[in-house]
Amino acid sequence: MENFSDRLLPLLSQAEKPSRYTGGEWNAVKKTHPVRARFCLCFPDLYEIGMSNLGMQILYSEINSHDDFACERCYAPAEDMAALLKAHRIPLLSLETATPLKDFDVVGFSVQFELLYTGVLYMLDLAGIPFRAEDRGEEFPILLAGGPCAVNPEPFADFFDCVVIGEGEGVDAAVLALVAEGKEKGWSKREILRRAKEITGVYVPSMREKGEKVVKAVYADFEHAPYPVRPVVANTEAVHDRAVIELYRGCASGCRFCQAGYYYRPIRERSPERCAQQAKDIVENTGYGEIAMCSLSTGDYSGLHALMDGLRDFVHEKRVNLSLPSLRLSSFSGDIAQESRRSSLTFAPEAGTQRLRDVINKNVTDEEIDNVAKAFEAGYDSVKLYFMLGLPTETDEDIAGIAAICARLRELYFKTRGKRGPNISVSCAVFIPKPCTPFQWEEQITFDEMLRKQNYLRGLLRRIKGVSFSWHGAESSVLEAALARGDKRLSRVIERAYELGAKFDSWSEKFDWEAWQRAFDDEGIDMREFTGAWDTEADLPWDFIDTGVSKRYLLAQRKLAYAGITTRSCREGCNGCGANRLGRCTIE
Amino acid sequence: MIVLRYTRLGTRRFLSHIDVLRDFGRIVRRADIPVGYSGGFNPHALLFFSPPMPVGVGSVAEYAAIDTPLTADETAERFNAASGEDMRAEEAFEVPRNPNLAGRIVAASYLFPFAADAYDFSRGLTVEYVKKGETVREDVSERIFAAGEKEGRMLLTLASGNVTLRADRVFAALKGLTGCDGDVSDVVKTEQFFREDGVLVPVREALVRKE
Repeated sequence: MENFSDRLLPLLSQAEKPSRYTGGEWNAVKKTHPVRARFCLCFPDLYEIGMSNLGMQILYSEINSHDDFACERCYAPAEDMAALLKAHRIPLLSLETATPLKDFDVVGFSVQFELLYTGVLYMLDLAGIPFRAEDRGEEFPILLAGGPCAVNPEPFADFFDCVVIGEGEGVDAAVLALVAEGKEKGWSKREILRRAKEITGVYVPSMREKGEKVVKAVYADFEHAPYPVRPVVANTEAVHDRAVIELYRGCASGCRFCQAGYYYRPIRERSPERCAQQAKDIVENTGYGEIAMCSLSTGDYSGLHALMDGLRDFVHEKRVNLSLPSLRLSSFSGDIAQESRRSSLTFAPEAGTQRLRDVINKNVTDEEIDNVAKAFEAGYDSVKLYFMLGLPTETDEDIAGIAAICARLRELYFKTRGKRGPNISVSCAVFIPKPCTPFQWEEQITFDEMLRKQNYLRGLLRRIKGVSFSWHGAESSVLEAALARGDKRLSRVIERAYELGAKFDSWSEKFDWEAWQRAFDDEGIDMREFTGAWDTEADLPWDFIDTGVSKRYLLAQRKLAYAGITTRSCREGCNGCGANRLGRCTIE
Repeated sequence: MIVLRYTRLGTRRFLSHIDVLRDFGRIVRRADIPVGYSGGFNPHALLFFSPPMPVGVGSVAEYAAIDTPLTADETAERFNAASGEDMRAEEAFEVPRNPNLAGRIVAASYLFPFAADAYDFSRGLTVEYVKKGETVREDVSERIFAAGEKEGRMLLTLASGNVTLRADRVFAALKGLTGCDGDVSDVVKTEQFFREDGVLVPVREALVRKE
């Protein structure tokens, strides 16, 4: 086999950030012994982004824990490196052994969000692998996709041989085991896929039958689920460059816009003892100076105090910081925040008024917002607030409520801390109706309306001192909505957009709105078809995916939303969403 | 305080200086090397480094000073168990105080992948590079302190530290002038120097002899 690492070396000194492409990271696994099958885990965005992804680390470590399988990694190279590779006729290579992607048995993509779809094609293009499954013969690897976007796989399904719906732990390795067996027994790709289809969570687009349901894979024994205590340490600064422990999966809050909150049900907690041990092991195995306690709503983790107690001496002795992302205002308590020596707090009220927060079931009250005073008392003087514009039923009064919250926080700060004002930064996303949520039928506000609302809010915030405002691009929000609820026709649009130059769509400076508009036009598809309001009776492209949560439940939640009635947290009692069919909800 | 002389070869050549600083802190933590910390709101580990070097150039003579109570041998041993093959402590020695590596290093020698006589330095040398979109041409003759040879290859001692001459720029200029083949990643730093009484003295020699 050709040795590509020798050919790659002279290119590295010409690349902008060569350490993205060298591999050789601490804890990277390079298997030199013969294995039954090889898997290349791909992330369709830059190294710094992909290296921050916990799912990639989990799957990498899980597959490599099998002695007879090898898992390697590949991230999308930046455009300068892509040009060098093309000019020197070097295909896209894995980091560990500089093996071309097409020489692997399975190539798996982690598809984290809609604006990465062209990233998949960009990598396949560089790898010399045809985009469509139907155009790939036996000589090409099995292409697999997974990640949150698999909740509606249709827009990209035609690019893949199979899609893992739900959690990849156990499933990816099972597919790889089948491929290994197939290699040994001489099965055709079709035969392998026919068998793979039997694995829970595996969707084989080319073999979808009428009326077929694909049930989401759920790793039931979350306590003992594979977890990377020797994660690969990035060569260059990753976006999240720290030890990560996953406290629990799923979320009890039931915010009606939140796809993750519904998709990752049932809720499964990991014991604080195990989490503490994992945190210690990771710090010892990596040298990270920070531990992030991750979950969809960290303050709601029932073992949080026990975990903090279990880590207190360790973090002190090792001089490690604790960080608690995803706190909810209602679960915030000064003593916990004080243990993570930080100066900035982040909260997501999502909407400016109580009325609208009730609609979206963000159970945060005005009194709870006053809780931020505790943070000011504890020494914090910066607050980051996340909101969404364009939520169903939103009026200008709700937007004015965002400014009112900022004014209120400023007032609280002066009461507790005195003279110098706080730094408040407000970040506003645009509501995107996502599959598998009670708002999956809602319309997205129009482009013009987005701009109007953003301008209105900016005007209001300008009058309050110490507030900075940032917002998501309106164009990319429209595209994200269209792709999120897309159907199979969109694969042609994605291909066309890529042909027209669209790539790295999630990077605002690279986002090419014109290419996307043209791609939709060229394929004769109106974007508005996917961003407008949908009939609740209509068939949805993702109806064949069984996430555990019933459509009936989603509809009932939608009705409650319009009535402004909240639903209690799952921690106060089961609301009967149905997800516990697929695995025990450990907070029940 | 312990001073380590360590290598940066293989994949570690391609780290930026800031990546090395970050990496070093992690190595020290996972190696369980106890280090002193600065005071203040954001205490940082008391680690001190020799001057930055260009991305891509290798080195067998990087230096770092670590404020640790361990012995020199123990420090090097623990470091090597946690650092990977491309970044190894080859030597460690004790010094009584912070040697101010970044402030006192004035020169570094580099082995180039060219024949020792490939270029006649009495002609002077001009390097060319792009800065803020504009091409800069610079006569760097005065920052080349010595031109010699090692095993038939060109060994140059270049200014380093506050007044510096980047080895990658010298490499590019020489490659163009001599038509020699090779890649900047074949350049290796072999030693760094303090200046004492007008004479360049290798770091180890200066530190161990006097302090």
